[in-house]
Amino acid sequence: MSALPLPAALAEVLARGDVWRGDTLARLPEDAVPSGHAELDAELPGGGWPRGNLTEILVDRGGLGEMSLLLPALSRLSAAGGWLALVAPPWLPHAPAWAAAGLALERLVVVRAGRQAAWCCEQLLACGGFSAVLAWPEATIDAKALRRLQVAAEGRSTLTCLWRPQALAATPSPAPLRVLLAAGKGRLSVCILKRRGRPAAQPLNLSIARPGRTNRALVGPSLSPAGARSAAVAAVA
Amino acid sequence: MCDRLAAEAGVSAGQKLSTALGLEPRLAVSERDAAREGSALESLACWAGRFTPTLSLSPPAGLLLEIGGCLRLFGGVEVIVEAVLGGCAGQSYSTLWAVAPTPLGARWLAQAAAGEIHQEAPAMQVALAALPCGVTGWPDEVVKRLESFGLKRLGDLHILPGAGLRRRIGNGPVDDLLRAWGELPDPQKPFIFPEIFGSHIELPARVEHAEALAFAGQRLFAALTGWLHGRQLLVRACSLHLTHDDGAQSALVLRFAEPAADEGRFLRLLREHLSRLKLAAPVEALRLQADEVVSKPGASAHLFDQQPANEGALACLERLRARLGEAAVQVLGEVADYRPECATRQFDPATDFAFSGASTARFTSPRPLWLLPVPQALGERGVSPHWHGPLKLLSRAERLESGWWDEGERGAAGDVRRDYFVARNPQGQWAWVFRDAEGWFLHGLFA
Repeated sequence: MSALPLPAALAEVLARGDVWRGDTLARLPEDAVPSGHAELDAELPGGGWPRGNLTEILVDRGGLGEMSLLLPALSRLSAAGGWLALVAPPWLPHAPAWAAAGLALERLVVVRAGRQAAWCCEQLLACGGFSAVLAWPEATIDAKALRRLQVAAEGRSTLTCLWRPQALAATPSPAPLRVLLAAGKGRLSVCILKRRGRPAAQPLNLSIARPGRTNRALVGPSLSPAGARSAAVAAVA
Repeated sequence: MCDRLAAEAGVSAGQKLSTALGLEPRLAVSERDAAREGSALESLACWAGRFTPTLSLSPPAGLLLEIGGCLRLFGGVEVIVEAVLGGCAGQSYSTLWAVAPTPLGARWLAQAAAGEIHQEAPAMQVALAALPCGVTGWPDEVVKRLESFGLKRLGDLHILPGAGLRRRIGNGPVDDLLRAWGELPDPQKPFIFPEIFGSHIELPARVEHAEALAFAGQRLFAALTGWLHGRQLLVRACSLHLTHDDGAQSALVLRFAEPAADEGRFLRLLREHLSRLKLAAPVEALRLQADEVVSKPGASAHLFDQQPANEGALACLERLRARLGEAAVQVLGEVADYRPECATRQFDPATDFAFSGASTARFTSPRPLWLLPVPQALGERGVSPHWHGPLKLLSRAERLESGWWDEGERGAAGDVRRDYFVARNPQGQWAWVFRDAEGWFLHGLFA
């Protein structure tokens, strides 16, 4: 028996479509929206945020850059003429910022759902007319309701993100993709808790566009109104 | 006239009321009202507008649909008959029907409860020949006279020489006979779809629960849909007027996100509204009125079958609005105002955006995605404001001074004089804070 032809045969076997290697990510037939971050796309199955599946984003504090992480994908969907929905957002959206991010405001729906966030979400997913639904469900939403949402999302081309608290990271969920966000050193740390395919090894540190100047922090008093005035006085003197 | 249950108990037309009540004590008796029958027939005619634009009323209870021109659209006469009968049953009308090449032939066959489809004249004539003379609705003395001649069937009548028959029973019946056979032309007066849609229905029993109105509403909306098809219109808003048993009136306005003519959509929206409606008093009658209609834009159907389209974003939003209230489902719009709390406005989905096109010039300094509903006062420790730790200011001050014009008005932001900063706390949260005469405030989050 010669050992030489074996590698060729192995390569042939590995090239077959129905052979899956344990160290590669599952290739899904579903379409995905490129996230705009190459490092993240490489780690997400399908090469982007999945459409037609729930994505859970676990984050406790606002203002880490969690929405900016999604903005490239959202603006791409909005530019293609899609409708976006924010269901029960925790704060008020500030229109100039959303417009500056490239979203069409006339197709950005804000639903103040109160205690019916899950129902609204299900309706929005089931109608199939939305490209993206971002929802902030109540903390008490149960696995059954999540399961219903996943079923409603399946087979649709809607990018669906549920924002949930970090404390639920250990609780199982029917969402095929779960991402935990935390603040890194000047960057956003993205930890993929669950995805299709092999588990992710370590958190990614993504650089997200942030306002202001990060390199040089200005100390408060020098720029407070009183401070500015005294500086001006000093300049005149 | 009586329904099936009463007929099974032995009740029939022509009995005395006391006899009928003796046979079936639970019998509900109501007076026959020609005006209401007429309006029911008209509303049914409106509904039938979805099948054919050419139809005519034949009072008291007949409706003639000219379907010869629509066979290809519906895919055959059986399909259209099934659709019409199914629709009538859905509105709980019982039907006697027939399809025939002449209007009068179809009517007589229907009155004889034939339930047959005759597309060719000879077949219809054979069927007509077997009908008793009584189905024609001729005056009683004419029918009696014919019976005394021994003429029981229309066929016997038709083979007799016309001139002699005319002398004996008059011109009218003989002309009818010739029209039914297709030997005389029989033009029909077409039903004209009313200019303004308003349909009225008296409920057979008082309704105390709003949900139960959905069933009665179904008939009205079926008529509305047919009327819209017949007139090639779409409805943008309609109202359902409820008459309560104490004589009071109330109205339920249904407003659609986009003009529509789809019965299923109307009913879904109606159910959402009714599930939230609390009736002040039991309802006696309903009236549906089309308030705003627009003409239907012409559109070609696809040549090949397309996969069934989804319900669409606007139809879904309409249902959300029905349940959560109009104000809870809105799209965003920008307003040229420097005060952040005034820079966002909410619009109804699918309103005309021509006016919001004049957007503000883009701010050169960053704006946060989220604003707090009310600025949150921040504590100050030493020199810097605190929010989950000391905030580090990362930008120069941006002075916003605006709004003197609505100072003191109720609900207005008023005159603001603030220095805004981008700041970050040790937890890595990016905030938009401002300082004014009263101290430091957190106003937004750079999410």
